[in-house]
Amino acid sequence: MNRPSENVARPQTEWSARSRELGELLARSGMGDRAAFARLYELSSGHLFAVVLRIQRDRTLAEDLLQEVYIAVWKAAGNFDAARSQPLTWLTHIARNRAIDSLRRAQTQPQLQTSHLGSAESDDEGDVTDRVAADGPGPLDLLDRACDARELETCMERLSPPQRQSVALAFFDGLSHAEVAEHLREPLGTVKSWVRRALQTLKTCLERGALRDQAS
Amino acid sequence: MDYARTPLADMLAAQYVAGTLRGGARRRFESLLPAHPALRRSVADWQARLLPLTGSLEPVAPPTTVWRRIEARLWPAPAATPALPWWQRLALWRGLSGAALAAFAAVLVWQAQPQPVLPPVVVVLQGTGADPGTAAPAGAMQQALFVASVSGDGAALTARPLAPVALSADRVFELWSVPPEGNPRSLGLISGSQPTVVRRDRLPQTLLKGGTAALAVSIEPPGGSPTGVPTGPVVFAGKLQL
Repeated sequence: MNRPSENVARPQTEWSARSRELGELLARSGMGDRAAFARLYELSSGHLFAVVLRIQRDRTLAEDLLQEVYIAVWKAAGNFDAARSQPLTWLTHIARNRAIDSLRRAQTQPQLQTSHLGSAESDDEGDVTDRVAADGPGPLDLLDRACDARELETCMERLSPPQRQSVALAFFDGLSHAEVAEHLREPLGTVKSWVRRALQTLKTCLERGALRDQAS
Repeated sequence: MDYARTPLADMLAAQYVAGTLRGGARRRFESLLPAHPALRRSVADWQARLLPLTGSLEPVAPPTTVWRRIEARLWPAPAATPALPWWQRLALWRGLSGAALAAFAAVLVWQAQPQPVLPPVVVVLQGTGADPGTAAPAGAMQQALFVASVSGDGAALTARPLAPVALSADRVFELWSVPPEGNPRSLGLISGSQPTVVRRDRLPQTLLKGGTAALAVSIEPPGGSPTGVPTGPVVFAGKLQL
């Protein structure tokens, strides 16, 4: 399997570094500082847009969503507590939440026109295949890159390939259990238990890693 | 269901953050969060585990129209009236309430010292409605008041809670001077249960000469904000009216 080059910065530490930068801007935005909010947008909108786009493939809807995200951020910035979570985590949660909420059962059909390059033909094909990113890195590749961090990589290796794939599809591309099952052509119950086990394994493994770090 | 940290509740939190909890179940889960701090903590833990995975995504620059629309909605261009200074948009500037006037009177009575040549300036800091999170019960801040009394020559400031305001052991109150423009400046930590005198050398020279537009109180970790600007919620604020 191809591994990302050594030059790729370790994602976990980069996450914290980017968060720190945003923390001050978020605090000032909470007090009404517009310039700080504009700078916050500058630094974070590329990331949040990418997060939204993977889940809400329709570009127009994604742009509207991004607006809603930042308006919500401005209004809630005064409530942000730096001790409870990291700024980038907080921002990403708002973006993902809105994107997931924007998905409806039968929504994928009308989207085919705007999000797929020249694709009148696949209306009757599984909508699910269009929900999975056609261009750009697949969810497993993203998981791979993200797992460059030592602990996460070790933990991910404990998962079976179907477990990893299910979790990656659900998490990055916002597929529901039913959609993952359809995409992988597996029973719904099987997929649910894969996702459940994957999450449990991740948690246990990360906690063990944290304890190890504390002890050393 | 007991929403303490049961394995089932934790798995729900995991599914919520991972995105596999959908539709009605997702909405029901979200509606539980405000009332269940243990559940919120589970969610926060899962967010910390999973969300950094999105760091591997290549950023996608949104079109400039998105920012312009955000600006237009948040800060619509005023018609003819000049834009309000930003601190005036903190929620409470509706004039002093009855409680605040009573506080004003109480402070005058309390100041039994010989009167300075210039009368003291009193700032009443009211609850802003910002969520104190786990630092204090939600309603506690709303009714509370701080009163800051600044001597007429601007050289001494005493901050006093009208009634004691309790904070969890791992949090402190920090007082800020908010200038008309630029970053707030810390005036140090203040007590939620008794008066605190702010040392003369911590006060800006321009405190009563237009350098301070408002005073605010935020909730911070022990020792105060590590960054020099508020990091926790701003729970009290009062305009300096000269």
